[in-house]
Amino acid sequence: MASILEELQSIFRDVLDQPDLILTRESNASNVDDWDSLAHINLVTSIEKHYKIKFALGELQELKNVGDMIDLIEAKLAAK
Amino acid sequence: MMEYSWSDLHIGLSHGFDAAFSSQDASTFAALSGDTNPLHVDTDYALKAGFPGPVIFGMLTSSLYSRLVGVYLPGKFALLQGMDINFISPCYAGDLLHVAGEVVFLSDAFRRLEIKASIRKDDGPLVSKALIRVGLHGN
Repeated sequence: MASILEELQSIFRDVLDQPDLILTRESNASNVDDWDSLAHINLVTSIEKHYKIKFALGELQELKNVGDMIDLIEAKLAAK
Repeated sequence: MMEYSWSDLHIGLSHGFDAAFSSQDASTFAALSGDTNPLHVDTDYALKAGFPGPVIFGMLTSSLYSRLVGVYLPGKFALLQGMDINFISPCYAGDLLHVAGEVVFLSDAFRRLEIKASIRKDDGPLVSKALIRVGLHGN
């Protein structure tokens, strides 16, 4: 079973159209090409659909990197 | 023009309307876009290519998705953020087109909605289908 990081990497590759993108817990909008504001909306909605979860804007504003996103996804999945 | 705010929207909300394009519309689109491909504006060429007449530009028919979003769903406060379109079958000048869209996804965090939409000829064939991503501004 793929890890959340692996699943996110697949989502990011698709949304950002970067088939070779390597995602790490430290990845963020500053070190991933084309991760702009509209791409961010596309990423978040793709993640919501993939995991069938919903984010609040406040939760997202606290995230510093992909690692924080993974932790938030794990928490939401555990609470389902 | 509809003026849906975020709180008005719900999964399943739908709108539709009818439209048609003339050969003059196709010529105008060719002039505006610079796409002068003869399949769309030259009857003799289109007939020789095996079509019953000039094919209305796919991007011209798809402009109806812009109307769907900007006028009906959600209307005034729309911010068109993207769409994926599949062109299924050609249409021709004078064809009556039914445009329909339905909200299929809502994301509260960024007030993003997704609309499943289609354009279908009056006699049934699907012209195109689209998944449209829309935000809201101003409310």
